[in-house]
Amino acid sequence: MKISSMNYLFKQGMKNIWTNRIMSVASFCVLLVSLLLIGFMMLFIANINQFVGGIENKNEVIIFLEDVDDDHIAGMENTLKAMKNVSSVTFYSKEEALEDMKNSMENAGDLFDYVEDNPLPDAFRLRIADIGEISSTLMEINRMEGIDSIKSPTDFINILTGLKRFIGIISAVVLTALIIVSLVIISNASRASVDIRKREISIMKLVGATNTFIKVPFFVEGMFIGILAGAAASAVTALGYSELIKVLSQDMTFWSIMSINGFIPLESVIWKLAVGYIIAGTVISAMGTVMSTRKYLKV
Amino acid sequence: MVELRNVSVTYSNGVDALHNVSLKINDGEFAFVVGKSGAGKSTLIKLLLKEISPNNGKIYVNGFDLEKLKKNKAHKLRRTIGFVFQDFKLINTMNVYDNVAFVLRSIDAPLKYIRNRVPYVIGLVGLKDKAKSYPTELSGGEQQRVALARALVNDPQLIIADEPTGNLDPTTSIEIIELLKAINQCGTTVMMVTHEHELVRQFGGRTINIENGEITFDDYIGYME
Repeated sequence: MKISSMNYLFKQGMKNIWTNRIMSVASFCVLLVSLLLIGFMMLFIANINQFVGGIENKNEVIIFLEDVDDDHIAGMENTLKAMKNVSSVTFYSKEEALEDMKNSMENAGDLFDYVEDNPLPDAFRLRIADIGEISSTLMEINRMEGIDSIKSPTDFINILTGLKRFIGIISAVVLTALIIVSLVIISNASRASVDIRKREISIMKLVGATNTFIKVPFFVEGMFIGILAGAAASAVTALGYSELIKVLSQDMTFWSIMSINGFIPLESVIWKLAVGYIIAGTVISAMGTVMSTRKYLKV
Repeated sequence: MVELRNVSVTYSNGVDALHNVSLKINDGEFAFVVGKSGAGKSTLIKLLLKEISPNNGKIYVNGFDLEKLKKNKAHKLRRTIGFVFQDFKLINTMNVYDNVAFVLRSIDAPLKYIRNRVPYVIGLVGLKDKAKSYPTELSGGEQQRVALARALVNDPQLIIADEPTGNLDPTTSIEIIELLKAINQCGTTVMMVTHEHELVRQFGGRTINIENGEITFDDYIGYME
């Protein structure tokens, strides 16, 4: 195809947007609402995951040690730090433990005066990177020499793992349903916009236009509407999300109770979301419009 | 040239639209195809455009063997044919110039050629001043002239006019047929399908009558003054 023809078809596509402006606006709105629904759902899921991740990071495994020497403790510390699923290791000496106990039991008065030997053991406090893998990590730790006992929040972890799985499934189902519904609505809108031009397409076919020649303006039209809808969705998300965060962050007390220290900041997601919006909008709209022309091209 | 050899068409609903039809229209001829509604005229046109394929028989149009021509290559055949329809089939969102130029654009014709050829053809059908008008701003006769210009612009070997006067008043109908006759005199084959026997008698020439899917008459009838 010649450049002049491509130029003509591109202009024709752009012209069609204005000529069929009512349908163009309808397609744009449908696409915009669909993108926003999916985008905000993704932001909601990402925030939920961040909250759960925040709770997850507060997990603590305490390893109580037998009465072993300093060299052995240093060796254990190195071994623990080298473990993949251990994100942090802190040595908690029996002296520190006793001091903390005294501080936490101020009302106990002279009780500690009668303690001659410190009965508390040395310990390591660990943070686990992936609590889903905690069982295998604990088994690995158990194989080490010099361990008296291990205290891990197994029940809490089980609840959290279940919650994570539940959120994952619900998110996947809701997102998939939203995407399917959006695709159906968008393809109906594209079909409606092509339907009213089926006569035009049949005339083009009758005068000898190739399918490509007929499809290109529809493709350009769909693509442009997709880009516009993607850009508009980005702007609405940027505004809407920042306002929403502002409102929700006014009183952090409630969120703190729920161990939520903050929301995903707009700056860290908006560009990824904008690129996603524009790519998804363009591809869905252009392909949807072109695919809708197919049945009329069989003349 | 148009040639049908023992062509039969039966639609999926069992309607026998054409039955063993043989017909030949030579290059440069002007032929009227007449017949009542449902006689098989539209089926004949659909066959020539390769919109449908026959159940039996062979069809040749402008050097194309339609049996061998693939559906996705039908545009090559259609580019050798100019069409004029009863309902004009103009694209209402394009002005007169663009409706006519579209045919050349769709075959990747050079821009310079389009710029010269389109105004020339629009002038031939007497619509020089209406080039920027949209179809909805034109009378029925003018719209049919645009359709004629569109049919002519690609210098086709054959023009098929399907009831071109069906929506026009008698005076305009005569003007359109006179235009078709003039085009034919320049060497283009013209096949005009109509049910208006009176017009055919008025102009005379080769007349093919289709009845119940069969050709019942194919001869020259005289020009009536």
